[in-house]
Amino acid sequence: MYAVETKDLTKRYGKTLALRNLDFTIDENEIMVLLGPNGSGKTTLLLILATILKPTSGHAEVMGVNVITQSTRVRQILGIAFQEARGFWRHKPADILRFHASVCGVPKAERDTLIQNVLTDLELWDARNKLFMHLSGGQAKRLEVAKVFVHRPKFAILDEPSSQVDLRGKRKIWAQIRRLQEEGSTILVATNEVREAEYLADRVTVLDEGRSVVCDTVGKLKDSITGGDIVELEIEAPKPEILKQALGQLEGTVKITNSSSSRFKAYVSMAESWVPRMTDTCYQSKARILSIRVTEPSLDDVFLHFTGKALKGTSNE
Amino acid sequence: MSNILRLVWFDLKPELKPPVWIVAEWAVFSVQVGIYGAMISQLVTGIGNYSQFFAVGLVIMITFDMGSHMGRHFVEHAHEGRLPYLLSLPISRSKLFLAITLQGGTELALMLAVPLTVTLLIIGNLTWISVIACVLTLFLLGFGVAGLMLALSFIAFKSSDLYTAIVTGLSTIIIRFSTVLYPFIFLPPQYASAAAFSPLTYGSDLIRFFLGFDPSILLNPYYAVSVVVALAISTLGLGLFLVQRLVEGVKSA
Repeated sequence: MYAVETKDLTKRYGKTLALRNLDFTIDENEIMVLLGPNGSGKTTLLLILATILKPTSGHAEVMGVNVITQSTRVRQILGIAFQEARGFWRHKPADILRFHASVCGVPKAERDTLIQNVLTDLELWDARNKLFMHLSGGQAKRLEVAKVFVHRPKFAILDEPSSQVDLRGKRKIWAQIRRLQEEGSTILVATNEVREAEYLADRVTVLDEGRSVVCDTVGKLKDSITGGDIVELEIEAPKPEILKQALGQLEGTVKITNSSSSRFKAYVSMAESWVPRMTDTCYQSKARILSIRVTEPSLDDVFLHFTGKALKGTSNE
Repeated sequence: MSNILRLVWFDLKPELKPPVWIVAEWAVFSVQVGIYGAMISQLVTGIGNYSQFFAVGLVIMITFDMGSHMGRHFVEHAHEGRLPYLLSLPISRSKLFLAITLQGGTELALMLAVPLTVTLLIIGNLTWISVIACVLTLFLLGFGVAGLMLALSFIAFKSSDLYTAIVTGLSTIIIRFSTVLYPFIFLPPQYASAAAFSPLTYGSDLIRFFLGFDPSILLNPYYAVSVVVALAISTLGLGLFLVQRLVEGVKSA
């Protein structure tokens, strides 16, 4: 059984189709990252799974529970951190978390310790008695994700969990997400930050215009780009042109260019298999390798490859 | 039930620490009754002690304001991103609406505690039944007005400015064209026909009936009971139905 499964899921806002016949699954105890620009349908999908929105058509289940017909049961399974932390302006962070923990059924005996640990870990302890309206953007965002870390649900949804947060804060949030997974939670993260996706994802689903374009592990997605890996070589060879020809005939080579007789740039698929073949060829050609630098494609390149667009969009989600 | 009470208390707590808004409302009421009410009662003749009539009118206005506030509060929840959070909590939709209603009812009770007590003391010579009937009528009227504002909230999802303009205009008309401050039988014909459409006309006349005002200057109480009950059930039902449909369409978190 999948932790999350959608079939033919469609959501329409007036004339706009936010999700188009989406088939999507998450395995148990997996971190699935939804990657897509603004307006790709990420937040809509999260809100449907969290039972806040109803789909126009199609089917969705969380841990085998139907999100449309058994929405209260679904909400007892999951916890969500929203994209923007808004709302309880006149409440204090500690009170907000205490309320959230009690409503979500965190045992009373554990509540205060858990809240203190999460607030300390996310560097919010000193701000625990400030009013929400006096928190900075980054603090408010950390408080938003802290709700999920205090709740520790079986299925956690985090919408752009580290946006507006500095690098140090991002790493703390990512570490907490990893810890949540180690404790057995299944996690769905929506983001348009490549680094966040690469750090967290067991698998990535690329969403574009409400459709799932591709879904796989980060490594496989990168490998699937033909010629996506770039190997820069500096070589001392007796006959550079013949070596260039030989490298061009290696399995996995897409293109070879050279800026001088000793510097080559090879566009290859799966550099980890190509490099050993290249060293054999150099050895047979009596060429001496002075340096090698391998560059992998980023998830941004993956997105560009599969959608023909850059990741940063302009429309609203 | 405990989650409903938690939700009510969580939302209410900031209003009470400190309870500035509530105390300010009590102070305004006291000034209105003590100074303006005392002066105006010297000018008005034909309905006995006008300051008593006036005090009941002020209580009705507070009830209307609170009912209106409950409806607007819900719309603000949606606009401020608080509603999606509430909708994501592990409680059923009916319990969530019950919590919102209970919170509104509690705020109304707090807001009315002093004004109603003062009014009852001014009028004096009352029975427990009349006081309970009066309180029930006020709550029914409050929920009816809240339902009306909820039913109008579909406008707010399109334009909050338009919603504010319509609600402000409607509030002015509903209060002014009613028997809140003037008895129905003394109203000019055109004014009386407009007042017949205001729910506050029936609410205020019914409360005055329960508090022992001269029935000859009031509307038929059976008619008034029917209108107030029908208003509460229909507008609250319609409001909740519309809001449940509209909330589903709130896209942004």
